Amino acid sequence: MTAALRLAVQSAWVDFQEVAVNGFLLFGAVWQPFFIGVTTMYMLRHRADFDPMYVIVGTALSGIFSTLLFAGSGAISHERWIGTLELLVASPASFFLVIGGRLAGTTVFSLLSLLLAYGIAALLFGYPIAIAEPGWFAISLLFAVAALWATGMFFAPLAILWRAVGHFLLGLEYPIFALSGLLFPILLLPGWTAPISNILPPYWAAVAMHGAARGDLDLPGLLRAWFFLFLTGGALLLIAKWLFERVLTRARRAGTLALS
Amino acid sequence: MLRRSVGAIELRDVRRLFRATTGTLRRHTKEIVALDGLSLDVGEGELFGILGPNGAGKTTTIKVLTTLLIPTSGTATVMGLDVVRDAKEVRRKIGFVFGGERGLYYRLSGRDNLRYFAELYAVPPREIRSRVEELLDLVDLRPRGDERVEGYSRGMKQRLHLARTLLHRPRVLFLDEPTIGLDPIGARELRRIVRQLHEGGATIVLTTHYLFEADELCDRIAVIDKGRAVALGTPADLKSNVSDLSVVELEVFGIDAGTVERLRALDFVDSIVVEQRELRQVLRVQTRIAERAVAPLIAAVAAGQVGRVAVREATLEDAYVRLVGRVE
Repeated sequence: MTAALRLAVQSAWVDFQEVAVNGFLLFGAVWQPFFIGVTTMYMLRHRADFDPMYVIVGTALSGIFSTLLFAGSGAISHERWIGTLELLVASPASFFLVIGGRLAGTTVFSLLSLLLAYGIAALLFGYPIAIAEPGWFAISLLFAVAALWATGMFFAPLAILWRAVGHFLLGLEYPIFALSGLLFPILLLPGWTAPISNILPPYWAAVAMHGAARGDLDLPGLLRAWFFLFLTGGALLLIAKWLFERVLTRARRAGTLALS
Repeated sequence: MLRRSVGAIELRDVRRLFRATTGTLRRHTKEIVALDGLSLDVGEGELFGILGPNGAGKTTTIKVLTTLLIPTSGTATVMGLDVVRDAKEVRRKIGFVFGGERGLYYRLSGRDNLRYFAELYAVPPREIRSRVEELLDLVDLRPRGDERVEGYSRGMKQRLHLARTLLHRPRVLFLDEPTIGLDPIGARELRRIVRQLHEGGATIVLTTHYLFEADELCDRIAVIDKGRAVALGTPADLKSNVSDLSVVELEVFGIDAGTVERLRALDFVDSIVVEQRELRQVLRVQTRIAERAVAPLIAAVAAGQVGRVAVREATLEDAYVRLVGRVE
């Protein structure tokens, strides 16, 4: 294992141990999806066209996205609050890699919401859990969490460089749920919102995971969704890399790494 | 022990400005000079102290040298490497401890904190376990290494910080007020470790507010004030600046500012410092004629306000007070 990979894995493990007892992120990964899943299934279960798989995938993705939104936008400021930011920056390790590893730990933790969503459907509402294309679903999940992790990486420096943007991002949680079709199909939205949906990784994550779980998307359709997950996630990661450099240079110029 | 050979650290005319914003509706930005053309040299293997009042620029100096701040102008090198241009290389060669309890992952054990920081400093994987145990031994934390850091005392956290900074065997150590807030035994233990590291050949830069600590540990000391070095030398050199002075300490009760000014105006008083100790105050009067000064000093204070009176030799602290003209 190379030093960089070791560092990323260790960072993920440190983060995993921290988020596992972090009440705020537990809310994002467990309680919020629990309420969304139970409420939506309760409201929609009597409709003739109701598909529990749609709610399961939407609930899981909402939990993963919320956790990464909160963890990502607070990733650097959290290190500043606990006084480790200066230690990380003044170490020879890549700060981008360290935060990347930390958010990877959060991402793994956020998968709890997927288990929870299935648990709600199976145990509380008695729906059979059947994934139409398990292999494709696994690949879709992998692409989805990678793209959502990249989204978290994009939020991390953004929230530090422009504090107001950081606050604004937190307010985008539900609009992004809606624009990505996590809670209801985007066909219900006005047509002009479609281009916005198309640049959001959660939208392509939902397309791929819904399609693989229900089996109503053919392979070209899935490949298209995976390609756009790769494209949108990759673009956000590249921008994030550039923003991280800006954060470090600006912090060294302005002296803003420590709280005091 | 004074081991100055080649320069481990060089600062040349380093200036560092900060911008501060004031006001709510009408905002104004003003520039604060933290370092004002500071130049210093530290030799390899030297234990070098930086003293100065709050806001003098001690921590800014350390942050420039540890690559956390970019100087506004001037140059700074560590082991011949420029702290701006060669920041990544500098980071491999240095270790640093900032005073206080923060800077650790509280939900992890002390041992896990060290393992993680060992990864950050790319300590070879096969060495990590033994190095962590060795350092836990050095700072006397091995029996409690598996406990979460949140349960550690302040002294334990500070010792863990010291272990953390030694993981990659740095050639230069920066210790910024490492004993701040520690109880006397904890502070003594930390000083013992610092001395041990120095004897092992490490170059150490220490900032402290405790002058006896600097006197006890440092080969040389720089006193900085308002971002400039106002004195530089061995503790003995600095003390020799006050060899002509003695200090009269008067314990007084309820003395007012007017009385202090009256005392300060006496022609045999070189300087005077008032230290508040609960309900009493201690006046430390520096004078060239200690024995003959006691009676006029007591006479200048209202009857019944004077308690214990003592005369002693000037210390490094007195030299410091003479240099920076105030106490914190």
